[in-house]
Amino acid sequence: MIAAVMILILSTALFFFYFQVTCQKLLGRQFDREYFQSIANANRLEFPSLRKSLEEFGAPVDYSRLRMMLRCDFLALTYLLKNAANVNQRYTYDERLLILYFRWQFLALGVRRLLKLGENTAVLRLTAVLQYFANVVGQRVNAVKFGNLTAADYLLNL
Amino acid sequence: MSTNLIGHVLQYAGILIEACLVIYLARNPRRGQLAGVSLYLSCLLGTGLGRRLALSTYGWTSPQYSYVYWTTDFLLVIAAFLLVCHFFRRACLSQEKLWRFVRLLLCFSFILVAGISGVSFVGHYGGLSLPYVIEFSQDLYFTCLVLNTLLYLMLQQIGSVDDQLGLLVCGVGIQFAGPSATMALYHLTTGQRFSASLTSYMLPMCTLGMLMVWAYAVIHVSDRVNKVTPRRNPVLAEVTAD
Repeated sequence: MIAAVMILILSTALFFFYFQVTCQKLLGRQFDREYFQSIANANRLEFPSLRKSLEEFGAPVDYSRLRMMLRCDFLALTYLLKNAANVNQRYTYDERLLILYFRWQFLALGVRRLLKLGENTAVLRLTAVLQYFANVVGQRVNAVKFGNLTAADYLLNL
Repeated sequence: MSTNLIGHVLQYAGILIEACLVIYLARNPRRGQLAGVSLYLSCLLGTGLGRRLALSTYGWTSPQYSYVYWTTDFLLVIAAFLLVCHFFRRACLSQEKLWRFVRLLLCFSFILVAGISGVSFVGHYGGLSLPYVIEFSQDLYFTCLVLNTLLYLMLQQIGSVDDQLGLLVCGVGIQFAGPSATMALYHLTTGQRFSASLTSYMLPMCTLGMLMVWAYAVIHVSDRVNKVTPRRNPVLAEVTAD
């Protein structure tokens, strides 16, 4: 009985640990250059400024607005991931895993808020996922030539 | 949609991905370095197909299916242990001294698990048969999870830059930890409906998770030889510059 409880606790903890580490490793992928800024500018995404304000000043924004910003950026980027310069019109398996990770961290953000543990860590993780998605979109758009269109023009025409 | 149907769909999806990965690895020029992964995937594939065949031939409640299931489970857990050993070997490629110690640790763990399962079994049943195999499999499974975690910590400690190995180890961790937790929950709730259905989802889902991570590691991550980057103490100029 005690052994089963211990195995349950330890295994559950290790499962989430491995899930988190796997996602962090996926997020650690190096891109040949930083594409996310142009994608964020073209789509008026707010995660770069949110991340900057958290890293530089550590100042949390209004919580409900923060959730809304993250959610909107997530919806925009997942749409672009699926539709922008994506021939297959579907997510790859690593993107699916990171979408799941985002949702989990979004839940963790709410729990942290509820328990008053501070939201900054969760917000930084969420913005890291968004930055990765924006980089992937930027790289794909950059790889496809559309005449004289820039990446921003292409995205505006979607 | 019933729980069983979703479970079957997940299992078939797993078998399909396993087959694709086995074929991909067989055609990969670096298959020698990933021999352990190929072997384990082949075992998973063979086991999945064998169980499907036994299920359709003998039926869910037949003793023959139970025998096939637990025998293949035993083979799988031995393959998993050998896979973890293979990963340890790959992590210690340039560190012979460490490998000698790790080899001892692995042998000791295996003997310890066999001994503990044996003692526990003799106390309860008094012979050597299927229940011993089941107990041994479950103990060795959990041991593999612990050893895999030790391997992950060791990779962090020696500063390994083998990204592919890191992801492979994480995949194995997901595959071992999820089922281990659900099986423990199943035992604690004495097989209630909720835990039974959770088990039928979690086992194939964790296998799928591992296969996805492995596919990413094998296809997208350029495998670099395990280089150990020794930690360099900062020189005075760097310290003062900070």
